Amino acid sequence: MLLALVSIGLLIGFWYLATAYRWDFYIRFTHIPGPVEVYRDALALFGDPKFMTNITISLRRIMLGFIVATVLGVGFGLLIGRYRAARGLLFPAMEILRPIPAIAWVPMSIMLWPTTETSIVFITFLGAFFPILLNTMHGVATMDSVLVRAARCLGANEFALMTQVVLRGAMPHIFTGLSVGMGVAWVSLIAAEMISGQYGVGYFTWEAYSLIEYSHIVIGMLVIGVLGLLCSGAIRLLARLAMPWQVSVGKENTR
Amino acid sequence: MNATSVPGKGHIEIRDVCVRFTQNGVPLDAVSDVSLDVKPGEFVSIVGPSGCGKSTLLNIVAGFLKPHQGIVSVDGSPVGGPGADRGVVFQQYSLFPWLRVRENVEFGLKMKGVSRSARETKARTLLGLAGLLSFENHYPEQLSGGMKQRVGIVRALATSPQVMLMDEPFGALDSQTRVVMQEILTNMWQQLQLSVLFITHDIEEAIFLSDKIYVMTARPGRIKAEIPVPLPRPRTPEMTSSPTFLALHRQLKALIREESLAAMGGELKEGGLAGHDWHVGAEGVGAML
Repeated sequence: MLLALVSIGLLIGFWYLATAYRWDFYIRFTHIPGPVEVYRDALALFGDPKFMTNITISLRRIMLGFIVATVLGVGFGLLIGRYRAARGLLFPAMEILRPIPAIAWVPMSIMLWPTTETSIVFITFLGAFFPILLNTMHGVATMDSVLVRAARCLGANEFALMTQVVLRGAMPHIFTGLSVGMGVAWVSLIAAEMISGQYGVGYFTWEAYSLIEYSHIVIGMLVIGVLGLLCSGAIRLLARLAMPWQVSVGKENTR
Repeated sequence: MNATSVPGKGHIEIRDVCVRFTQNGVPLDAVSDVSLDVKPGEFVSIVGPSGCGKSTLLNIVAGFLKPHQGIVSVDGSPVGGPGADRGVVFQQYSLFPWLRVRENVEFGLKMKGVSRSARETKARTLLGLAGLLSFENHYPEQLSGGMKQRVGIVRALATSPQVMLMDEPFGALDSQTRVVMQEILTNMWQQLQLSVLFITHDIEEAIFLSDKIYVMTARPGRIKAEIPVPLPRPRTPEMTSSPTFLALHRQLKALIREESLAAMGGELKEGGLAGHDWHVGAEGVGAML
């Protein structure tokens, strides 16, 4: 805890000194705002409803894109992981699309979707979709097959098997996918907002650069960082609620 | 043979069953022309050298595998797939790690659509019989190996199957736990009056538990011998040193030993194998010096 404070203190101290003395040795701190200036402007900004709108809009885009990615990623992941026919039919097509970074979809997305808003949500979705899909598939594949056999001879039909055994068994991997997917979704969202956006924290940060409001760039970056942190924290909390057996196992081991 | 047997329910019939696998493109007979019977209420074990297809046979009765030839039926109806009428206990621990002990036991009843309260009553009764009631809210990972396997047995019993199929259920346990588990199993079997088909490679375990033992040959697995166990019920640990027990043990050991040698590649005779090994060992030591 103490070391953490020292670590953060050093970072802010370096930032302060570099900006106060206008360090210009290959890296140029000449136009970079210092921590005091940023703090002052941040206070003003947090009372500004327009700035808050930017935050809520970014969060809404993340939620929409991420929820759709979770539903489709987990759904397809379970199908592809469990049924050979689904794998044969769906997976090759997805493998072609997978290496294309979500950001590369921006121009295409703008043409595909009726509004800028939906195209940005689509980019966010793409970022989250593939990590969730692949981890779900992996979770199904690495699940102990004796559990499926046990469920079948206890009378589970295919639907019960999917929802009560395969899904539950793959859950630790699914949550890994959700964590990774959330990270990639933020990367994709910010890039999409910077390129094509109206509103959103990414747009705000880029706009600050154009408007020469340099302290707002730093504020935008910090806000993006904090929002990302909160979102991955939410996933971890959700994981703990959805998988209580893993928590109890951990407790037992540390005793 | 077994005084407690009830007429009618839980009759396993295996008739002329053959199973063929393809290994590297070459067809391989795993089980060949096997016929056997587990009468209602009877405890039957299958022993044999490893790889003789005894687990394959059990998987067919469980409905996980289809034989290439022959018929398997339970109480006259042919086996078409896995189902809750046949309880299965696996060698590996197979409890659902995300469910608590009682929820694991309730799983089969839930699949049957039994109401929550009825499920709970049944599960708690059975857990009580197995001495596990105080662990009903534990997750499987918090239990010892023996307890996990006991929950596995209780879970398989919860749907009241007429038949229990057990594939080396105590294979992963230490010898003390094993002996205790064998006693628990015989007790439950006598109370519930089911038919049991039990796979093991432990001769003592087979004699202690069974009414009848089938010995299988090395691959392709056939029935080599059918040996009744005339020991009275209930069985006690002291019986394991009785003359009858020891004679059976000797007989079964000899039968399995023949097959193990055959499985190891064949024409080597017992004495020849041991003598040859010894000779090579002595030479090896000489070379090292």
